[in-house]
Amino acid sequence: MTSMLRLAALAAASVIALAACGKKEPPPPPAPAPAPAPAPAPAPAPAGVVLSAVTLGKAVGADKKVTAATEVFAKADTIHASIDTTGAGTATLAAKWTFTKDGKTVTVKEDSATITPTGPATTEFHIAKPDGWPVGDYQVEVLLDGKVVSTKSFKVQ
Amino acid sequence: MADMPDFSNVESGSSSTATKIYEVKPGDSLSKIAKREYGDANKWPQIFEANKDVLKDPNKIYPGQKLKIPALT
Repeated sequence: MTSMLRLAALAAASVIALAACGKKEPPPPPAPAPAPAPAPAPAPAPAGVVLSAVTLGKAVGADKKVTAATEVFAKADTIHASIDTTGAGTATLAAKWTFTKDGKTVTVKEDSATITPTGPATTEFHIAKPDGWPVGDYQVEVLLDGKVVSTKSFKVQ
Repeated sequence: MADMPDFSNVESGSSSTATKIYEVKPGDSLSKIAKREYGDANKWPQIFEANKDVLKDPNKIYPGQKLKIPALT
């Protein structure tokens, strides 16, 4: 009888041991989520056309740049404003020429040009007066897409 | 009030190393545009060549049309 009990106890122990062996290990804790990859830098917004310089002079070359910069003109001069831009796209450049005397300002001329540069470009505006410029103080405002981006003063003497 | 000079006869213009966009006005022709933009009416074929995608006949341009005015080479 004792043998029978031992055998039964041994069987029960085996069953428990087998059950213990079949017990699944607790799942490992989830691996920490990988650190999020840094967001890619946003593509740079197209810069568009940007003004880089405005130069006044009495003449321009084939490259539209003034050949001799000056801000003092004679009565018979043609007055050029040479505008350097960088960037690509479509932009409207404008030149507003004014004359000031005794604190009063009048518009001499306004002109605009829509350009479609693919890189650095030079655009020139010019004014001439067949009967000669009145002596005095003048100014040209350069506008890029309607916003004043540069102002240059000059004299006629 | 200061007596201001008369600037009504001021002549003006512009040119660029970049292609310009010109909007056709009533009464325009390619030669008139070439005269205004290049100072030489005989250079109208340059404008025609640059706009062959929209112009089939150099004598037919319409107000409001936008033409490319290439830089003179």
